[in-house]
Amino acid sequence: MTMYILIIVWSIINKSFCSYKVNTKTQRFCRNEYNLTGLCNRSACPLANSQYATVREEDGNCFLYMKTVERSGFPRNMWEKVKLSKSLEKALRQINEYLIYWPGFIKQKCKQRLLKISQYLIRMRKLRLRRQKKLVPIQRKQERRERRREEKALVAARLDSAIEKELLERLKRGTYGDIYNFPQVAFNKALEEEEDAEVNMEGEDYGEDEENEGEEAEEEIDEELEKELEEESENEEIEYVEADSDLERELESESDMEDIEPKATTSVKDNTRRKPRLEIEYETETLSKNAKRTV
Amino acid sequence: MSKVVARPLITVYNEKAEASGSTVQLPAVFRAPIRPDIVSFVQQQMSMNRRHPYCVSEKAGHQTSAESWGTGRAVARIPRVRGGGTHRSGQGAYGNMCRGGRMFAPTKIWRRWHRKINVNQKRYALCSAIAASGIPSLVMSKGHLINDVPEMPLVVSDKVQEYNKTKQAVVLLRRLRAWTDVQKVYKTRRFRAGKGKMRNRRRTSKLGPLIIYGKDQGLTKAFRNIPGVSLISVNKLNLMKLAPGGHVGRFCIWTESAFQRLNALYGTWRQKSKLKSDYNLPQPIMTGTDLSRLLKSDEIQKVIRRPRQMVRRASVKRNPLTNMRALMKLNPYSAVIKKSAAKVAEARKKNKEALLEKKRQASATKKVAA
Repeated sequence: MTMYILIIVWSIINKSFCSYKVNTKTQRFCRNEYNLTGLCNRSACPLANSQYATVREEDGNCFLYMKTVERSGFPRNMWEKVKLSKSLEKALRQINEYLIYWPGFIKQKCKQRLLKISQYLIRMRKLRLRRQKKLVPIQRKQERRERRREEKALVAARLDSAIEKELLERLKRGTYGDIYNFPQVAFNKALEEEEDAEVNMEGEDYGEDEENEGEEAEEEIDEELEKELEEESENEEIEYVEADSDLERELESESDMEDIEPKATTSVKDNTRRKPRLEIEYETETLSKNAKRTV
Repeated sequence: MSKVVARPLITVYNEKAEASGSTVQLPAVFRAPIRPDIVSFVQQQMSMNRRHPYCVSEKAGHQTSAESWGTGRAVARIPRVRGGGTHRSGQGAYGNMCRGGRMFAPTKIWRRWHRKINVNQKRYALCSAIAASGIPSLVMSKGHLINDVPEMPLVVSDKVQEYNKTKQAVVLLRRLRAWTDVQKVYKTRRFRAGKGKMRNRRRTSKLGPLIIYGKDQGLTKAFRNIPGVSLISVNKLNLMKLAPGGHVGRFCIWTESAFQRLNALYGTWRQKSKLKSDYNLPQPIMTGTDLSRLLKSDEIQKVIRRPRQMVRRASVKRNPLTNMRALMKLNPYSAVIKKSAAKVAEARKKNKEALLEKKRQASATKKVAA
């Protein structure tokens, strides 16, 4: 009589509907938690077999679940749960003992399942000992946004000018003592600033200070060049003092031309020339310069 | 034909889901043959019976006096609307291909909406459905979560019929471990896909347990607000509730009086039904369905022939013209022929040799002589 019922059950499950059945293109799977193989077969269906057994794992412990005909009408007590030993050998022997007169398929599959479970438990334990790599997915939009914002922040920070200011301040404070390694670009810049400042403030000492500061802003020029500069300045002092106006105008024009490239060659001379000049006639020149510039 | 079937005793559970001590013998209905094909067919037919007729208006598409312009006017020959002064004039009419024309085969109200189903078939289907509801495997495969239910079929004491508060109903379902099935209903509440949404069928969900009672003393009011739960009286068992969708195996909770009434309603095979005139449970086509047991039985073994145990294996064909053994198999005398032929050949050879020898000797002597 029960056989008859099981035949009907299987014919319904197989041909009609079963809520645990999952169909793929190649195979039929069974989502029932007690299924031994995970496939939907006549021999592996826990619903269509009155005598059935599975091995399941819970928190690292393996349990043998058994179902017999006598209990088939009482779903709550249907599955008998036996804890298997942690050692694979003993557990296999236990299975043999409990499923002694059971059909070979179920015995075989239970043991296979136990083997697989124990293998993956071992693997899990090993993995935990090693460094765990955590996979973090890349958020494309966020990455894009952050990159753009970094760029903007970089531009906004204006590192160059900040560094300049910092270095100038340090010079002012006198942390560097007396240094005469003045890079050309910085020197010119400083000069310009001095000119503007002198328009406002009119201080020789102040001008000198500013000179020094400006020159120190970027330490690019070699010491050799600087030595040459000093030598030239000493030599040229005499010459340039004589021809003031012409040379001054030339210098002015040259300084006006200070955009990018011409600085390299002319600025050296300019620096040396201007050192002595600044004290006397510079003010008038700056005035005129400014007048020119405004025009 | 009396059927000897095992009909165990089912324990009745009290409100706390403990065995209340009383038992009921399983009604014979639960051992009726389960015929999913009959259930499916009957359910389909029954579902046709609650349809509302629909059709298009009789006049639709014909409320014009259109007439074809005939040939010779460089237009297609479908009837065209008479008159002038509107867009409509001269437009095609009447045909199913025309805009504003009548549809092809307009639906008629005298379509056969309802189906007549044989009473016996209906009863058969119902018996099958009830029988299937007692088999836990079928109920599980239908999708109900009954893993922790104490027993199948589930019978509760009649006290439940007096419930009038939903709270009590919920407590009972929880105790019986049927609440997971109701939770499943909660989880699957969603909007229907398709136009049914705007046709008053907006929400769908799965079905939960079915409560079958003997006498409603407030039970309906207590259970009806729980989503998924349906209620029917034993006297009015409904196939649409017992096998929704044509699939057998709904999770049923019976009250004791309902359970006991089943024998009277459907009879046992020994006894006819008391409440249905001249009705008895359907007889199965085969009483013994265990194929292996049948084949081993004496009656069949006596009649069948011996099994053919010969194992035919594929053999390699050997060419008799080249393979001596194969030739011998076909013609045993060939050995003799060959031997004799070999002897003859040898004899000839010897003779030839002898002759040659003689000739050589003769020539040698001649030489010597000369």
